[in-house]
Amino acid sequence: MNSPVIEILAPRYEIAWYPWAVQYFFLVALAYCSVWLALPGLLFGRNGRWAATARYALLAAMTTAICAPIALLADLHQPLRFWHFYAHFTSTSWMSIGSLLLPPFVFAVIGLAWLVWREPMLAWRERQDWTGRIARIATLGGWQTPHFAVRILAVVAAILSLSIMVYTGSEIAVVEGRPLWNTIWLPPLLLTTGMMGAAGLVLLLNRVAGPWDAGTDRKMLGVITLFGLLTAGVVLMWGMEGLFVEGSSIAAAIDSVRHEPHWRNTAIWGMLAGAVLTLAAGLMLWRAGWSNKPKILGPWILGLVALHMAWMARWVVLMHVQTVQKQTAGYSEYIVGWQSSGWGGVIGIFGLWLAVILIIDIFVPWRAALGGSTGEPRPAPLSPNQGVATHG
Amino acid sequence: MDLVKRMFMGQLARLAAGAAFVPLASVAHAKINEQPPRRGGDPEKRWAMLIDLRRCIGCQACTVSCHLENDAPLGKFRTIVSQYEVEDEATGDLSTFFLPRLCNHCDNPPCVPVCPVQATYQQHDGIVVVDSDRCVGCGYCVQACPYDARFINEHTQTADKCTFCTHRLEAGLSPACVESCVGGARIIGDILDPDSTISKMMDEHYSDLKVLQPEKGTHPHVFYLGMDDRFIDRPEALASVWDVRGEDFSEMGYEFSGH
Repeated sequence: MNSPVIEILAPRYEIAWYPWAVQYFFLVALAYCSVWLALPGLLFGRNGRWAATARYALLAAMTTAICAPIALLADLHQPLRFWHFYAHFTSTSWMSIGSLLLPPFVFAVIGLAWLVWREPMLAWRERQDWTGRIARIATLGGWQTPHFAVRILAVVAAILSLSIMVYTGSEIAVVEGRPLWNTIWLPPLLLTTGMMGAAGLVLLLNRVAGPWDAGTDRKMLGVITLFGLLTAGVVLMWGMEGLFVEGSSIAAAIDSVRHEPHWRNTAIWGMLAGAVLTLAAGLMLWRAGWSNKPKILGPWILGLVALHMAWMARWVVLMHVQTVQKQTAGYSEYIVGWQSSGWGGVIGIFGLWLAVILIIDIFVPWRAALGGSTGEPRPAPLSPNQGVATHG
Repeated sequence: MDLVKRMFMGQLARLAAGAAFVPLASVAHAKINEQPPRRGGDPEKRWAMLIDLRRCIGCQACTVSCHLENDAPLGKFRTIVSQYEVEDEATGDLSTFFLPRLCNHCDNPPCVPVCPVQATYQQHDGIVVVDSDRCVGCGYCVQACPYDARFINEHTQTADKCTFCTHRLEAGLSPACVESCVGGARIIGDILDPDSTISKMMDEHYSDLKVLQPEKGTHPHVFYLGMDDRFIDRPEALASVWDVRGEDFSEMGYEFSGH
């Protein structure tokens, strides 16, 4: 850059939100989107066409809803003061409003999963081992789960998930100090990429946790295609706003990053990955000729790509944007360390998430919920060299 | 141990009391992202600063004295003087431009409504302060400030910023930066008092006064005299000096890059 002005002394301002924030926004988006993927199966009952999808989506929603607030808490520099949120409620702050919305959502999802899972768990109450002991405690008696309660709580959780969707998007979009965030297109972007991620997670669970269900693969590929197109639409609208509205977010955005090759590469990578993912999902849906066999190089790989996309979108939005200096020259070159506020936290939260999934897998017969055929994992019809579905 | 227990019980009690009075009714009154009511301070006063850039020599005495007065961590600044080397595109002549930066104590401070616990608030006298006992260190205010005037203090793990040295003002003293300014470039005062130096100077130079990023609608109360329009928003400039600390976190000499 050839500038007639050189800033001789440019302090480097450190970022205030750490990768914990990425983990929170990633997991909470998976949580609220998974609730919607589980909703048809929960409403229209067992053995329906969406029941298998709902089983995986509920596992996804439950585990992410538990881990997301932990990441959020860790991002506070004073985590033990979290109770200040409730002692000093502030109606002007989206973050404060969010602190009231988040617990009901998390507890609704946990309650929903409990209601759905305690039904197959009743059969485990007679067991003599640890799983039986846990089942006897967790089911809180031998009564049958009333189906209307599941439906009501599913609708409540879906409504509460909307509130999380609105608050997480608004919280970032209202920040005028950062033009890249200050756009009404950011909340829709978080939603559409979140849906892609959640569908990807269900694809992955469908293949890895099993029993594999061809219908779920088909539906989730459809969701990824649909929301991939919607994401493209949102990005397009954001760009159009830049062309036609003066002083818009994208104009400021381009202005603040045009001299930074790293940014360009990341943006190009993100758009390419999104386009390829959407195309591949669409093609797979169109061409596959659905057999009853899971493939080694099947939709689950797209599931992984979708999760990567959803995570990267948040990394770019939350971490990269913070490196744009607000009034001094240049960028604060943020280097992610291995400490808990860097990669340590990222890996730790993923580890915690995996642990929660595994613990549920050991103690909860979630595969048998919603009319699933058995409390035990049904071996997927695989040839021996294709691996076998496990259940922890 | 007793002390710890007592503090814990005290906090529990505050939690219980707080939870009982969660002012849900206030949702109906204060709109999201609008200014909450001001608290504390003298309502008869409105503190503001005028910086006469014609008198600033970029010596950083204000930066150093502020650092000493307010004990900011190394590498974090409540105030700093941006120093620019400006080349005349026609002649190639070089000159320097110095721009002291600090919290603007805006009349519409974007950092205040976002605070989820009202730890950061504006006093009636216009000064924006942080209650570091209440701050949860969420960093939302740091994001919201368009002037990068805030930072997370790694010692207190809470938000930190210029307070116009309100503790000194209350004792009848000038802020450290004003006190130490060798050129007398920084003038602080009460703009509601027509006889104050700042009021007189603002009257005299009214049409020449500028504020930073006025289009943000923050109504800053740090006014600049002798301001170059190129520096009102984030200037198009090449950064040269980056770090004050090396990789081992020890202080290091400044190194120049790019020229």
